[in-house]
Amino acid sequence: MNEAAKPPVPGIGLTAKYPEIDTGPCDTAIYHEPAVYAKELEAIFRRAWYMVGRVEQIPHAGDFFTCDLPTFRLEILVCRDRDGGVNAFHNVCSHRGTMVEHRAEGHSAGLFTCRFHGWSFDLNGKCAAVRDPEGFFDLDKGTLGLKPVALGIWEGFIFVSPVDEPPVSLADYLGEQGRDVAGYPWGACTQSYQFETEIGCNWKLVVDSPAEVYHIPVLHPNSAAPTMMASGNPFGRLLDVELKGPHRTNSHYSVMAEPKPVQKLAYFHAAAAQNVAQADRGYDLPRGINPARSPWWTVDLITFFPGLEFTLSAHMYTAHQVWPLGPNRSLYRQRVFVRPARTAAERFGQENSMVEFRDVVMEDLSTLERIQRALDTGRIRQFHFHDHELALRHQHHVVTRILADWDRRQGSEGQHGDA
Amino acid sequence: MSLLPPGFAGIEPLVADWVLPDAAARMAKRQASGIAELRRFYDAMLARGEEALAWLRGFALGDLPPEGENLLRLMLMLAEAAPAVEWYGDPRVYDGFPVERVRYLRQIPDCAAQAVAS
Repeated sequence: MNEAAKPPVPGIGLTAKYPEIDTGPCDTAIYHEPAVYAKELEAIFRRAWYMVGRVEQIPHAGDFFTCDLPTFRLEILVCRDRDGGVNAFHNVCSHRGTMVEHRAEGHSAGLFTCRFHGWSFDLNGKCAAVRDPEGFFDLDKGTLGLKPVALGIWEGFIFVSPVDEPPVSLADYLGEQGRDVAGYPWGACTQSYQFETEIGCNWKLVVDSPAEVYHIPVLHPNSAAPTMMASGNPFGRLLDVELKGPHRTNSHYSVMAEPKPVQKLAYFHAAAAQNVAQADRGYDLPRGINPARSPWWTVDLITFFPGLEFTLSAHMYTAHQVWPLGPNRSLYRQRVFVRPARTAAERFGQENSMVEFRDVVMEDLSTLERIQRALDTGRIRQFHFHDHELALRHQHHVVTRILADWDRRQGSEGQHGDA
Repeated sequence: MSLLPPGFAGIEPLVADWVLPDAAARMAKRQASGIAELRRFYDAMLARGEEALAWLRGFALGDLPPEGENLLRLMLMLAEAAPAVEWYGDPRVYDGFPVERVRYLRQIPDCAAQAVAS
């Protein structure tokens, strides 16, 4: 019998590696209370950085894209200037506040001209021209540029901050996790699909959704389970979990079962963009990807607290982003990044990966609004997390600790103010 | 002029209904179809799948003749139809989140050349 047919089943004991993480039931208040949500916006979300795109989207001077930060209702314009720099601005005209650039992406010859009254701004945000300036009263064009947005680049990803003076640098925010997964060929996956959907649930439930695979054999019996959880791992155990400050990585165990007929066409006759084995990768895996270096590895879930997760395999990755819109409302955006198709046949492999992934996620998302409805009754007071649901316990731990620190600081500032 | 490359005349009747311009349209087509017609399309395409991919391997994206684009788009529709037939036995994801609530923000063009990383 082939040795490969009997891989070792991962054991229990992930949580025990992190004694600071409690093992008791977790209080569910942080998943639905409006007061908690209001605090999270200040203590967590206004202090974070947000990935909005990649540098490859704007290779040449004048190339631009627009995006938004839904939680903060901020509209952003990102462009490449003539010195090769990437700039981000509030996409809001300094005249009357409408959006300056309404297109999703494109190329500008050098000016962004507001479609309302025709004021224009250059690639560095400077106000270049005001229409009929003699009709205005002591305008100082030097002060009327587009408002800059704090921007940082990591591994080709463009991040922005929702506040004028970010409390931590992008490098410090990404921390050890950012250093550990740098060096993966992020830029090689030049093609992407993206969709969004609004979900009636707290942001943490969306983050939780891919963060445990205990559910896979049960919730995904015909889709993900046969290829991801085949022989030997009936409980959907993980290979490993690494906690790094507020961030974390789950490594997934997998054994390839018999693919379905169309999967076979995609995997064996149109291999591009597949979660295929790691042989012939053509690059070295960074330390933080498959950190256990297990031969049974297929996929890592690389999480940057609070709301960015990458489902990453050797040859493709998916970015999951969660934008809180309220204590029980979130916007979920999923962007699947795949390698360019070398032949027209590989275009089929790309589409197959996207469709498979989307449908599996549809299976996941159906659970979230149901959980939230139960939470909103106030009668589900505790969650009970399995050892291999450590990521969920970790998120609970991180959020609870940050909110407690926040309360303490507010308290001491309050006392200081009273004195 | 043929709608499909030589050798694929047998599946030409599928072109009129199952060649769609992008992934969002294919998703909507699956949702609007019955499982019986999805299965008929799937069976007809699956039988020619390996040959279709072998033919498509001879071309780079951006270089496909019109009948080759039709063949590729039939295969992309097969990718969309497959979970309905193979996983769910239903156009919809079993007990799933309503796919109508999904909005595509970005799609990979079906037939255009794709940039390699610089």
